[in-house]
Amino acid sequence: MLIAQQLVNSLMLGSVYVTVAVAFTLTIGILNFLNFTIPTLFMLAGMMGWAFAERGLPFGLSGPLPWPLALALAIVVAIVASLVVERFTFRYLKARYGDATEHAIPLVSSLGFLLIFENLVRIAYGTDAQRFPGPEADLSVEIGGLFVRLPQVVSLVVALAIVLALTILLRRSNIGRGLRAIAENPDAATILGVDVHRIVPVVFVLTGVLCGLAGALFAISYGEVSPTMGDDIGTKAIAGMVVGGLGSIWGAVLGGLIVALTETMTINYFGADTVQVAVWGLLLLVLLLRPQGLFGHNAIGKGKL
Amino acid sequence: MLLEAKDLSVVYGRTRAVDGVDISVGEGEIVTVLGANGAGKTSLLRALQGAVKPSRGRIVLAGRDVTNGSSAARVAGGMVLVPEGRQIFVSMSVHENLLMGAYLRRDGGIETDIAAIYERFPNLARRRDMKASVLSGGEQQMLAIGRALVARPRLIMLDEPSLGLSPLFVEQLFSLLKDLNRDGIAILLVEQNTSMALELATRGYVFELGDVVLQGPAEELLGNQALVAAYLGGGEAAPTEIPPHAGS
Repeated sequence: MLIAQQLVNSLMLGSVYVTVAVAFTLTIGILNFLNFTIPTLFMLAGMMGWAFAERGLPFGLSGPLPWPLALALAIVVAIVASLVVERFTFRYLKARYGDATEHAIPLVSSLGFLLIFENLVRIAYGTDAQRFPGPEADLSVEIGGLFVRLPQVVSLVVALAIVLALTILLRRSNIGRGLRAIAENPDAATILGVDVHRIVPVVFVLTGVLCGLAGALFAISYGEVSPTMGDDIGTKAIAGMVVGGLGSIWGAVLGGLIVALTETMTINYFGADTVQVAVWGLLLLVLLLRPQGLFGHNAIGKGKL
Repeated sequence: MLLEAKDLSVVYGRTRAVDGVDISVGEGEIVTVLGANGAGKTSLLRALQGAVKPSRGRIVLAGRDVTNGSSAARVAGGMVLVPEGRQIFVSMSVHENLLMGAYLRRDGGIETDIAAIYERFPNLARRRDMKASVLSGGEQQMLAIGRALVARPRLIMLDEPSLGLSPLFVEQLFSLLKDLNRDGIAILLVEQNTSMALELATRGYVFELGDVVLQGPAEELLGNQALVAAYLGGGEAAPTEIPPHAGS
């Protein structure tokens, strides 16, 4: 029963890792770009959600907002921030250097955005962790002797629903096919009329939606946000993505859940200090034995969605 | 003229791949561009399609200047390139590849057009839901052409479509091009198989070092194969593709 309870707990923790890992795998798969701003978009959604709910809009434009509205606005902030990143890391550099897949410069500039966003939030709201005034995070039900916390169940369901919606978008829609074409062969895609300038922002909007939603779900599930909440989630999500296989969306889902499971089990048996060793040890082991990740098709490099 | 390029130049770094070329394709015409490897034929097609920006010159498609437009503007204007090496999407199914040809189309006729492609290429119909990577070289070429046709082009440009195909498939390919032309589609064909290309075409251009060195009606070029072969620098082409009297 203890193991079963651990499994339930890790599924809940996993929902946040899954959403962020899918955001990572999307930009790697389509643009061959490790977007370092992803953890900070997640943090922005959480912190802005708290700020809107607790203090209202900036510059005294409103009083404290109801938490669902605050989180919805916070997701919009994450999407806008993601588009700002696109504008200044990708589009500007593409115009200047002529190659959207030249990834070293976007990588470094996205790292710059990570630090800038994080420190702007610190300047505005301080460095302390804040209590999110959402629904009672401990609200739980007992099912067959297992304690299941409701906000976390909602998180898991929402996370899987958004990933499912994303895969349907990629498989069935014209724009989804365009994205996959750019991922596989940008040259052939361009020749057929796929406009990279128009489609790259779509990737960043999707990234903003995924990270914003993950930040909002985190705030609801754990009832606490902080300017550094993205750091730990970011590294775990990267681990999950690599374990699952780069460029594979369902790989990222399973990888995120595996990382969460490893984390809860390790804490349970060996204590919190061993978590990073276990997660990154697992990652290195997977890379050694199966460089393409558990569910990926090709070794690290350009993915196929 | 359906497509007209004037004084077109393409420069990569310090290399001038295409150097002030004038080329045109009329409505319903078949035009072939011949030349040795590295003569600038692929660069010409890529510039015409908008995949590379010309450093000089003008490109007019059906009366509209598309020089600074995107590839998408050309596709929408009725010009599609079947690139060298086919470049089909191997991670997608055969059907999805065909749908990519309709990427810019918003009308309701897409499925009908794809059905017509399947009728033309029964092998593709049989493999419609399989990954395109399982297709043979010849079938991949058919898919690449089918994908371009779904865009409903008035002009289709093909870059070395016969490369790597068995002689039987090459025969089929050329009869397909003839059929497409009979349906009213203009063709700009870059080929190393000189005699077959000239027999199919109405006009031809011979490229050397990024410049047109010879042009005229295909019959005329066909009657002067020794001269054409001299410009092609026979030694650089694959042995099977050298015309019988090349290298003389």
